[in-house]
Amino acid sequence: MAKSADTKCYVYLDGRIIGAVKDGSAFAKEIRKNRRAGLISGEVNVAFIRKLNEVHINADRGRARKPYIIVEHGKSKLTDELKQKLANKEIDFNYMIRRGVIEYLDAEEEENALAALEESEITPKTTHLEIDPASIFGLTVNASVFMEFNSVGRHSIALNFSKQSQGLYAINFNSRYDPRAFLLYYPQIPIVNSLAYRTLGLSRHPSGQNFVVALSTYYGYNMKDAVVLNKSAVDRGLGRSIFYRTYGDEERRYPGGQQDHLRIPPATTDGYLGEHAYAKLSDDGIVEVGTQVDEGDVLIGKVSPPRFLEEQTSFGVGEEKSRDNSVSLRAGEEGVVDDVMLSETTGATKIVKVRIRSVKIPEVGDKFASRQAQKGVVALILNQEDMPFSKDGIVPDLLLNPHSLPSRMTMGHMLEMLGAKAGSLQGTYIDGTPFSKRGSERINEYGHVLEGYGFDRFGDEELYDGRSGRKFNAKIFTGVVYYNKLLHMVSLKLQVRSRGPVQILTHQPTEGKPRRGGLKFGEMERDALVGHGASLSLKERMLDQSDKAEIWICKNDGDVGYYDYIKNVPVCQLCRGNNLERVEISYAFKLLLDEIKSMHILPKVLLKSE
Amino acid sequence: MAKDMKVARGEAVGVVAAQSIGEPGTQMVLRSFHSAGIASVITTTGLPRIIEIVDARKKPKFPMMEIRLDKSTSKSYEKAKEVWKRIEEVKVSGVIDGFEENLKSGTMALHLSKEKTAQHGITGRTIASRLSKLEGVSADQDGDEIRVKVKDKDTKSIRTRFVKVLNSVIAGVPGIQKVVMQTNDNNEFYLTTSGSNIEGVLSVDGIEKDEVYSNDIFEVLRVYGIEAARNLIANELQKTINEEGITVGFRHLGLVADAMTHTGVIKSVGRHGIAGEKESVFARAAYEETVKHFTNASVFGETDMLKGVAENILIGKQIGVGTGRVHLAIKKEELKKIKRKD
Repeated sequence: MAKSADTKCYVYLDGRIIGAVKDGSAFAKEIRKNRRAGLISGEVNVAFIRKLNEVHINADRGRARKPYIIVEHGKSKLTDELKQKLANKEIDFNYMIRRGVIEYLDAEEEENALAALEESEITPKTTHLEIDPASIFGLTVNASVFMEFNSVGRHSIALNFSKQSQGLYAINFNSRYDPRAFLLYYPQIPIVNSLAYRTLGLSRHPSGQNFVVALSTYYGYNMKDAVVLNKSAVDRGLGRSIFYRTYGDEERRYPGGQQDHLRIPPATTDGYLGEHAYAKLSDDGIVEVGTQVDEGDVLIGKVSPPRFLEEQTSFGVGEEKSRDNSVSLRAGEEGVVDDVMLSETTGATKIVKVRIRSVKIPEVGDKFASRQAQKGVVALILNQEDMPFSKDGIVPDLLLNPHSLPSRMTMGHMLEMLGAKAGSLQGTYIDGTPFSKRGSERINEYGHVLEGYGFDRFGDEELYDGRSGRKFNAKIFTGVVYYNKLLHMVSLKLQVRSRGPVQILTHQPTEGKPRRGGLKFGEMERDALVGHGASLSLKERMLDQSDKAEIWICKNDGDVGYYDYIKNVPVCQLCRGNNLERVEISYAFKLLLDEIKSMHILPKVLLKSE
Repeated sequence: MAKDMKVARGEAVGVVAAQSIGEPGTQMVLRSFHSAGIASVITTTGLPRIIEIVDARKKPKFPMMEIRLDKSTSKSYEKAKEVWKRIEEVKVSGVIDGFEENLKSGTMALHLSKEKTAQHGITGRTIASRLSKLEGVSADQDGDEIRVKVKDKDTKSIRTRFVKVLNSVIAGVPGIQKVVMQTNDNNEFYLTTSGSNIEGVLSVDGIEKDEVYSNDIFEVLRVYGIEAARNLIANELQKTINEEGITVGFRHLGLVADAMTHTGVIKSVGRHGIAGEKESVFARAAYEETVKHFTNASVFGETDMLKGVAENILIGKQIGVGTGRVHLAIKKEELKKIKRKD
């Protein structure tokens, strides 16, 4: 297109060519002028793409757009007069859009714009001005504090942690039946918060607590992102949360007039789990609210019709057989029945929801994270007496290893410690909106407050070893940080197996926590044992602790036979003979032989005496 | 190899080699860097080159040779340059300024470039006589012009013949597209080429004939034999791995090369080579194309002697590697039969 002699500039409307103009740049400017004058809808965006010599006009839906203050002739259109009017609430945001003070840009039009971050940075080339420098961050980053002091990669990590934090996720949690829910006992509003945090109303459902943090090692108990918690603080409710899990079931109807029944299954049902498993059910087959339930306890008793249609007996339809289809508590979990809900679906089938509640007190292995992308796993819960303490009797809730900071360059973490400390002394919230103040300004400000209350202006404290009572040689940076308890808790993950269930098909151990499975001994692990020449260790893993089977092999034709326990002889099904040998083999191999047979190939096992 | 580096009997050398190459190999995936600016020939590097070697490709993507010059030529720039000229192939298209072609009559006029012919030391007469040797082509010299006539009648074959004429090599060693001259630490000149033709280069004077190096494994096999090919495989593997800043013990690479070449021909590692030609039916079926191996085994009535590692793990027997290699020489019952002398 651009090659042709007449350098026509094509104009696209929502991706379709609608015509051509001579000067694309001037054309785009003209459209913008009319838009600002209110002649064209403010939702239209236009971009002149120099590289292609094309004008793209976008008016379709689904474009992300961002408001900017318009700058003309090196001057912001948001004048002091307008600012005053805005402060007096004489005008509003929409007024400024109508009057061409603020306009929205989409991704394409942004390419034609040069936006200044601050009013002082405006040059003759500038076309727009950011409403607030913090708007270069997204909402989630803005809801956090001091993010402009952290390295960029940390932002998305911090964002991920904030998604995983436990808190007050909804006020109506008592009438909700979320499959999985976490609820913090005593959520607090962060001492340091930001404009976006307040504007979004996040203070109404906070997701963490203000921890007193000392930046100190503790005998190796907080190496490598581990943290030490204060036991007395934990006892007072620090990081304590509730875990809800809802189990549900329904009375389904099947073709043929059969249906499920919610009830305590009679002992004659197929797959009856034994009397003790149903002990906690009430007469309607559902557990009572307030019952303490443990792993394996049935919560909802249900009997279902058999999976396959039965043969007709000579007496017509006989006694209807049923199979147990109850819902029991997950492996490795326990709790109290919090609530039971009975209802009907639109299809008029009865549904039951049982919500189990369990209290999760912080324990070794639980995960905590600050808003500055500093996560840690509890490695020690230490008695308050043994924790370091200051002359004022302040004992930290958490000991964070100072080595967590330099490599990650999260200066925001240190600033938050300082700021929140000042805020808690003053009894005020501290504003940590990104780019609202310079770092040196903040340090001076908080330092001044700290000095006013008789503290070290850099936040350092003289701490005493709780075990010996001796003063530490170094001053220790101590402050307050807003910590989130993340939803990764050991009690939901811990799993062990020595013996346990096996798969029906292969006779090998099951996999995964819900099936009480083992850890996979995979190909690479196998190769490692082969490489070491540890042949008996290998055999133990692959056979003895897995799918060892003893089968009978016919000495005549090498086929797999069976043992006839009535006549007490092994039998070969091919030759009907009894000349068989007992062989120790992996069940997977027997399965392989069966599968080879299914391909119409007869494998023969030739035996040789050892 | 030193005496104390001998491996014990029953050591799983194959697995150890695979792990020793495989683990550092994970670090070099997709991370091949190139040194820009220095005049050099292009070669495949990194993981693609290792795959090329291990898969036993018939021709490397970028064949390359390294040619040492002998005592008479290596110290002098001019003499080295002469050898260079003898080696680098010269095509007809490389010595002409332009040409006119007549597709109707099947004639073509090549305008020789004085500069270029002088540069390569070729006369019009030699070009004409070389071209006349081509099939279906006659050529005559006429001053700075060479008139070419081809036998073909139809336009399409005339055109293809013309292209052949333009691409025909009139001087140098065919297949050596580019030569780069470099000096080593002793200020001796040596040549690196892109394109490989060992036989052709060996017939050129002024080179050290015992030290011709090519990275074309199959050509080395053809010219020097299987032992040379084995060494080349191992050395090329080591060179490629070392280029990535990783070191792998040579014994592991030597083992790979031995496994590929011990039958006298080069076999690839994988389905079409070493793994696909394993003795055991189960070992082959466990690797790839399970059904194919079982059906073939049934047709030919194969017997698996259960000697390898994979088969024994499958059936659940102790493997014959490491501690599994050791067996009792005499059984307990047999021992009782032996009578004491006293």
